[in-house]
Amino acid sequence: MTPREDLAAAQAALVAALVAGGPTPAGFDPIRVAAAARALMGKRAGEVARAWPSLAAVHGARWMAVFAEWARDRPARGARLDGWDFARAHRDSLPPAAALELLMWEAAWRQSGDGAPRRRHFSTSTAPGGVLVRMFGRSRLIPLRSRP
Amino acid sequence: MAAEAVGVAVGDLDLGVGIGWRPDIAGFVAGLPGLRFAEVVAESVNAGHPPEGLLALRDRGVTVVPHGVRLSLGGAEPVDPQRVAHLAGCADLLGAPLVSEHVAFVRAGGVEAGHLLPVPRTRAALAALTDNIARTCAELPVPLALEPIAALFDWPDAEYDEADFLTELLERTDAMLLLDVANVYANARNRGEDPLALLDRLPLERIAYVHVAGGAEHEGLYHDTHTDPVPAEVLALVKELYARHRPPGLLLERDGRYPPAGELRDELDALAAASGLPRVT
Repeated sequence: MTPREDLAAAQAALVAALVAGGPTPAGFDPIRVAAAARALMGKRAGEVARAWPSLAAVHGARWMAVFAEWARDRPARGARLDGWDFARAHRDSLPPAAALELLMWEAAWRQSGDGAPRRRHFSTSTAPGGVLVRMFGRSRLIPLRSRP
Repeated sequence: MAAEAVGVAVGDLDLGVGIGWRPDIAGFVAGLPGLRFAEVVAESVNAGHPPEGLLALRDRGVTVVPHGVRLSLGGAEPVDPQRVAHLAGCADLLGAPLVSEHVAFVRAGGVEAGHLLPVPRTRAALAALTDNIARTCAELPVPLALEPIAALFDWPDAEYDEADFLTELLERTDAMLLLDVANVYANARNRGEDPLALLDRLPLERIAYVHVAGGAEHEGLYHDTHTDPVPAEVLALVKELYARHRPPGLLLERDGRYPPAGELRDELDALAAASGLPRVT
């Protein structure tokens, strides 16, 4: 291998150790690398919490630990997509505020074949107490009253 | 010749105390009466729909420097031309006299690290950095300043010490230096070294501007969090730096857990006091 290829392999091994649960590469201080891996996961969890505040709020002070456990072997896709994946994985157990956050997101975005989100122009979905309608880039909850 | 050109560029900069512009504190930044210098994370700018607050700063004559964080200049693979074009576009949009990026890599093997990672201090890494910086500078309308990062660990088998590595890199690339005093402090503290020993060996005359940020200790290690207050030790290091050399700009980076406006103002005033630069509050 050329020095450049060696460098590429060494960098990939380090990234794998830091964010994908890989072994600490030879010669590195495993305690320091583990501390850096925890710091990176904390940063990632914090970014997801900013993008999905209601979702994170469900877990309060335990958000970091809960997200870290789920995300440990899932490479980061960016805060908005990580939050979407986490929310979808827990769809059946989400309390109302987090469920509404997921609903609002999915009214505006759909998953395309390549895994990237695509913006929806029009969508309707049932929501607690009404129908969520998305048109012209805006989402609106239309309340439905049950007939007496 | 090359060093002379860099000297002229640094000498032309007139910045003062500044602050990193973030949407969360846009109102605070807009309300700083003496502000002449700010910075924006380049990757956060949508060139088609730039934030109005940023354009307002530009229009009132504030120098706004685009600060890249995702170029991965220290990666073994060639820098992505689209990312370079975005950084260049930000410089044009903001009329910036320079842009900045890091001596770091952020992805490898197709995996994003989500943060700035240190490069090994080896000839191979120096060559990769030099190539990527040359590719980048060829597309930039303005000079580039390079920022050494904070890291919790070091690579094994270093072929250079930090000062020699950075000095060699700046000479090869003709780049300016963005010195982050908090990073110098964090690395020295976590390695058990004297931060002044590094300051005294860096080419301080190449500094375009200086970063300062807060941090906190966890599990015996100092983390450069950008979400905590600036420690007194970092302010003391700013004072030591400005006693040796007077870089044109000194900028506070805060990236979350924003304190009340009064506390941010006090931090900016403390930077002015430590450097002897005019207050901007």
